[in-house]
Amino acid sequence: MTEQFLVIVLRTLIVSGTATAMAVLVGFPLGYGIARRSFRGRTLLLGFINTGMGMPPVVVGLVVWVLLVRSGPFGDLDLIYTRTAMVLAQFVIATPIVVGFTTASLQALPPRLADLLFVLGAGRMRTMWILAREAKLGLAATIMAAFGAIVSEVGASMIVGGNLERSTRVLTTAIVTETSRGEIERALVLGLILLGLTFIVNLALTIIQQRR
Amino acid sequence: MDVSLESVRVERDSRVLLDVPSLLLRGGRTVAVLGPNGSGKTTLLRVIAGLDRPRVGRVLIGGLPVNASRVAYVFQEQVFLRRSVRDNLELGLRLRGLETKERQVRMEEASRLLGVTHLMDRRADRLSGGEGRRVSLARALCLRAPLVLLDEPLEGLDRPTYSRLLHELPQLLAAFDATKLLVTHNPGEALRFAQDLVVLVDGKVLASGEKSDVATNPHVREVAEALGYFVVIRDGRRVAIPPGALRPGPGPLDFMMDIDEVIDLVATTEIAGRIGEVHVHVELPTGSEPPARGDRISLHADRFFELK
Amino acid sequence: MLDVLVPRFEKERRIEVKVIAVGSGAALRMAERGDIDAVLVHSPTAEQRYVEAGDLVDGRLVMHNDFVIVGPADDPAGIQKSTSITEAMRAIAARSVFISRGDDSGTHTQELALWAAARIDPKSLPRREESGQGMGATLNIADQKRAYTLTDRGTYLAQRRNLGLAILFHGDPSLRNVYHVYAVSPKKHPSVKTAEARAFIDFLVSAPIQQLIASFGRDKYGESLFFPDALKEARD
Repeated sequence: MTEQFLVIVLRTLIVSGTATAMAVLVGFPLGYGIARRSFRGRTLLLGFINTGMGMPPVVVGLVVWVLLVRSGPFGDLDLIYTRTAMVLAQFVIATPIVVGFTTASLQALPPRLADLLFVLGAGRMRTMWILAREAKLGLAATIMAAFGAIVSEVGASMIVGGNLERSTRVLTTAIVTETSRGEIERALVLGLILLGLTFIVNLALTIIQQRR
Repeated sequence: MDVSLESVRVERDSRVLLDVPSLLLRGGRTVAVLGPNGSGKTTLLRVIAGLDRPRVGRVLIGGLPVNASRVAYVFQEQVFLRRSVRDNLELGLRLRGLETKERQVRMEEASRLLGVTHLMDRRADRLSGGEGRRVSLARALCLRAPLVLLDEPLEGLDRPTYSRLLHELPQLLAAFDATKLLVTHNPGEALRFAQDLVVLVDGKVLASGEKSDVATNPHVREVAEALGYFVVIRDGRRVAIPPGALRPGPGPLDFMMDIDEVIDLVATTEIAGRIGEVHVHVELPTGSEPPARGDRISLHADRFFELK
Repeated sequence: MLDVLVPRFEKERRIEVKVIAVGSGAALRMAERGDIDAVLVHSPTAEQRYVEAGDLVDGRLVMHNDFVIVGPADDPAGIQKSTSITEAMRAIAARSVFISRGDDSGTHTQELALWAAARIDPKSLPRREESGQGMGATLNIADQKRAYTLTDRGTYLAQRRNLGLAILFHGDPSLRNVYHVYAVSPKKHPSVKTAEARAFIDFLVSAPIQQLIASFGRDKYGESLFFPDALKEARD
């Protein structure tokens, strides 16, 4: 039982970890751009993102499934029921969360900070880097929120992953499987592992956040 | 370095914040930009620093377009990174690519001059008002930029800090080998620190030139008011009177003041009232019998300037 | 089919029925715990254990249908020409992907029995995946992965329209899928509703209902999905 569970835990970490990393890589610059520039339709875009943050993950799963299924537009890529498909769906779920949180934590910085960096001669990249570090409090929370959301979701993972035991079964879908088989003890153990995992990740990020 | 503005207009949301057809600030001098709140003083600084872009027109520093490397900006608010004072001082120097040795030398010199050496390892975002102001000045000093912009450098300080800095600032400014542009709404400070004055009202430059020229030729009411003068009507003429020049008793140009308030300031007594419709106030030394509310007393002006 | 039978039972006998749809394995465990009053299952080997342990009583044979092997229409493993189910399983194991339900259901149990008969250890097959889900989801996965799977004929026919899978092997006697109904033992769990459970059993094996079972699905799919056995058993 332990070895099986270890495989599932590792797989969960890799899939959700990858999706979180991708969401941060894409979402942070996007959130930064929205926070720093004012443009027409900005409020509309922010409203859209906030909706994205609240969008049911299972709906995301459904849409990704429709796109990846063999009869769908990207059917030829043969990605349905693979880990890649799961990473994709989780990425779509996590990115609006990252963008929303990033925008909020950057907008919470003192407004003159960007001005200061400009007059000190910091270029665009440098400014982004320094502001990111100043907003460290918010960024750690962002990663926690994004990872937490996708590691605990089950609908999209089930739909696009197929819960295949050797390749796409993760902690959440495994809990569903064990429960529907009546294997309550196994399900509880998996549940505890999932809780523990989330706690450890959040603890690590909180430590980073509270340093200095 | 000279700073010149040509046909500069700055607008936001169809409001004109700054409208300067032409302005020249001579290099190496200290210039005070004086004006009431909302007159566009900060916008002027920002446009010179390159933080705001004018809708039309251009700004040249030393004949060249605006560039961050040529400017040191001292903000009105405390703006620091959530790091030590040392890190904050060093940031601008690092961005300019200076070597460690050079950075250390400059920081040591600046912190010594501004008296903030004991704060180097403190968190910069946790300084008191006075300390923060000094560190901001030290930061600007380190940069050794040819143009230094100061936005209300004495604003918001407690009384003792204010007095200290008021007297130290000229010396400190002298340490900056640069053109200094200082924004204030306080005419006393402007006259104290600067050699040249620029009076800005509603985004327009109403006066500019050497301090004594501008102060003795207010020309229009707005400039006189910006300089803190009382503007009073006498025989159909408008006259501007510097505040200290209004004295009790008769004289060459005299007025009658209706007293609204008598304020006991212990060491002195302040009388506030109106000459006609214009609100004025006069200080009386203690000792003499203070008048009462509702009284009328006669005042005269030691100095005054006629306005158009 | 329960969607048709249950409301009729509720109306005729005026007994309310709560249906919980799970695999046979889970259903039998629920019966063992006394969480339910009656079970309709299709996992004879597992059922045997619970009957012997005294958890299930009054068991009756209700009906059967058959399992079939479905796979991609072009049959890459070539099982259509297999002469026995064992041969077919071996052919699939050799070169194709197989999707199992992996959920202790009756279908899953049957699948494991077939591997055992072919003397293949399913855990050793690199291209066999377990979905842990119901038949519908498993068929979808097999369809998308161009894989083979074992399914009861009824579920396949119901979904045939949306699948690119075809029935590639059927008819072997070991593919028979037998349904029994039981009441949970009142001796072991005194709180179960024994009278109502027995009424349900009587209902399922009654002549009119057996008739209904025989004709179910014919108009929709052109063939019977289930074959009634209760009256035959009574006769035998």
